[in-house]
Amino acid sequence: MDAITVKHLTKEYRLTKKGTGLTGAVRSLIRPQKVTLRAVDDISFSIPEGEITAFIGPNGAGKSTTVKMMCGILKPTGGEILIHGKNPAKERTQVVQSLGVVFGQRTQLAWDLRLGESFELMKHIYQIDRGMYEENLKIMDEILDISQFIDTPVRQLSLGQRMRGDLVAAMLHSPKVLFLDEPTIGLDVEGKYAIRKFIKEINRQKGTTVILTTHDLGDIEQLCKRLIIINKGKIVEDGALDELIDRIAPCKNLVVEYYDENYVQHDKAQIIGRNKNIVTYQFRKSKITGAGLICDISDRAKIKDATIQETKIDDIIRIAYGREC
Amino acid sequence: MNGIGTAAKRAGLKTAYGFIYKLRIEKALAYRYDVFSGIIMQCIVMFANAFFWRAIYSGYETVRGAAVSDMLTYTIISSVMAVFLATGVEQRVMKSVEQGTVATDLLKPIPLFAIYFFEELGTITASALLCGLPILVVGSIFIVVPLPADAMHALLFACSFLLSFLINWLFAALFSLLAFVTINMSPLLQIKKHVLRLLSGGIIPIWFFPQWAQNLLRALPFVYIYQLPLELYIGRLSVPDALRQMGLQLFWVLILLIVFFYVQKRTMEKILVQGG
Amino acid sequence: MDRIRYYVDVTAFQMKLAVMTMLEYPANFIGWLLSNPIQFLVGFGTLKFVVQEFGSINGWDYGQLAFLYGLAVMSHALSMLFFVQGWFMGYYVIEGEFDRFLLRPLSVLYQFFFTQFNINGLTDLIPGMIVFAYGCKAVDFSWNIRNVVSLLVILAGATLIRGGIYIMMGTLSFWTKSTNDFAGFTQEFFDKTTMYPLSMYPRAMQLLLTYLIPIGFISFYPAGELLSGMGSGGLLTMGIGVGMILLAGLFFKRGLRGYESAGH
Repeated sequence: MDAITVKHLTKEYRLTKKGTGLTGAVRSLIRPQKVTLRAVDDISFSIPEGEITAFIGPNGAGKSTTVKMMCGILKPTGGEILIHGKNPAKERTQVVQSLGVVFGQRTQLAWDLRLGESFELMKHIYQIDRGMYEENLKIMDEILDISQFIDTPVRQLSLGQRMRGDLVAAMLHSPKVLFLDEPTIGLDVEGKYAIRKFIKEINRQKGTTVILTTHDLGDIEQLCKRLIIINKGKIVEDGALDELIDRIAPCKNLVVEYYDENYVQHDKAQIIGRNKNIVTYQFRKSKITGAGLICDISDRAKIKDATIQETKIDDIIRIAYGREC
Repeated sequence: MNGIGTAAKRAGLKTAYGFIYKLRIEKALAYRYDVFSGIIMQCIVMFANAFFWRAIYSGYETVRGAAVSDMLTYTIISSVMAVFLATGVEQRVMKSVEQGTVATDLLKPIPLFAIYFFEELGTITASALLCGLPILVVGSIFIVVPLPADAMHALLFACSFLLSFLINWLFAALFSLLAFVTINMSPLLQIKKHVLRLLSGGIIPIWFFPQWAQNLLRALPFVYIYQLPLELYIGRLSVPDALRQMGLQLFWVLILLIVFFYVQKRTMEKILVQGG
Repeated sequence: MDRIRYYVDVTAFQMKLAVMTMLEYPANFIGWLLSNPIQFLVGFGTLKFVVQEFGSINGWDYGQLAFLYGLAVMSHALSMLFFVQGWFMGYYVIEGEFDRFLLRPLSVLYQFFFTQFNINGLTDLIPGMIVFAYGCKAVDFSWNIRNVVSLLVILAGATLIRGGIYIMMGTLSFWTKSTNDFAGFTQEFFDKTTMYPLSMYPRAMQLLLTYLIPIGFISFYPAGELLSGMGSGGLLTMGIGVGMILLAGLFFKRGLRGYESAGH
């Protein structure tokens, strides 16, 4: 069953154009100019239950707007969203009962109080019964080790600890869908590791559907089966990361170092560079594997070293961003 | 060589001040709705005070040497003055202490409080045009045309108001230094804002106060913020008296200036030692 | 019924959190505990000089003025406790602070006001009670059951009227998209119209503040009723208060439809 279905979703904003300089400021005081901005432009997709999906795209591409509409913060201008069959724009209180949401840049924890008070508050807000509350807290403590700072006031927590606190607060009521808006932003390596481990574990143990937006490619590589790339309000790519890589970067490079300047040609690989005894071959992944190519070459000449260069994931994403649909 | 260098530096500083000043005007203009609601609300306060005087004067001609028309003029001019006398320096210092930017602000080549002063001038120019002028016009149309007693008194008022502006700003700047020693300034700012206007005759002229209170207040600098310029405007003081009072006003400007520089230097030294 | 029990449960816990938060910053609370009473008492004290000079204003002597002033300040204090957020709605709109409220299974307006009780607001209750007590003594107010009940009903109703107006003013931010500086001038407007006799204003304004914006029912009409011992016993104020809150709720709902979060 699909956890989320989105059909022909559109969002437009009316903006007031601000004039520049003193004369501009005076002019917009007297007669403000309005412009319409189409932030999300007729997008459709569906997400099956229990999947981890990443929304990526350049800043201002419309991914935040899309996610905000999915969790009911913004009302769509057109189209429809169903979360487990319910429309967040119409049945907000019912839909949010089954949602957990974490904004990486904004905490929902009570700033001046010990972390545990914020968890207690969730217990009251979502009417979580004691058993479930304690069990959830225990499960999450095992993954995130929050008990060591649960009595510290939130304002004194490090960003990583606060983020872990926010994740726990969002998951205490066992939501079926978890939205994460840039969950690893600004975190150190250890912090990122903890968050990713948590997402994977919670997805495995509870079957939670996870939607995340991120600029961190590590998040995508390590967490997501599926990637939706949004640019200029439209979906430009939607699919598994591997497929995307194959499609955008069908070729790999092989750098071979020979003992002397005698090098070999290969009919399935093209030489794209040579510097003395170091030669760079480019080959199509569909035609030959890297291992096969190395075998062929080393059969015909003595080689010192061979390295396969993958296209970097950020290059792939950059290429995808650049695409119009 | 040296002379040219200093002159160039001074010219550079002048442009810097000019830019800060202009930036503030633009910022103030950006809040379209705030400007309109600000004017409307300030006018309402002015009307309330005017109606208060009209109501309480019913059946009286002059009380303590002031007629109801004097009080209406007093109210309108006081409201316009309030626009010029609303200071932002306390908030400014409070914020930079909270956000910990004081240390970096101190590293700028321009003295910190000079920046604040010119920012203030920028804000005030904007609010004078956007709020002060409309208030004056609305007051003139609907309450009374607030004419000064005569040209001489108008001139005296203008000079005296310049000094009141300085007293008011210096006091605010001095007050803002409290931000370095207090955790939360807001309650203090509230007290300052309200009590200062009350004790300086901004709402009720202190000639209505009992003698002991008048004696006490006249020994403090606050009456020179609202009361003196307003008294001059409605012509309650003869020219020699006026000049004597303005001498005292100038004296207070100097005192506050000295006190401010001293306290500011001490405070800044303390910050630099503590490392912000 | 379940729904009510749910809201009561959350509210009780939020109040607990508010008290705990306040206890984290005792200096802050003490600051307001001193500053708010000083402001009101100095203001009312200086008024005495003028009123004594003239004898009365529109037939209200200083004791009656104290009664009116105290009554107004008390409902002001209560509205500060529950509804002061309304003044800052523009900030919530611009900064996208409604996002979080929209994600919880509670009414947005409820969360807006009840996730942060402004306990500091209660410090205004002190000068209110002092001036009111002074006024009661000066006018020989009799503390019989009818008067006490009326007084409580009036305070509750007046708080709701204020709350309703704050909500409606704050809701305008959804359209203006600006952090309106309501705090200073709203307070001054309410102060001027509730702490002094409404009758000192021109007829048109009295009508406006009676029928269009029912500020008159916060203190002026109820004070008149209590002082004369006649009238509805505060039921009119209460009725208008409930009506204003309901109206404000509808208006807010309308405004929230145009909510656009922040930084899309």
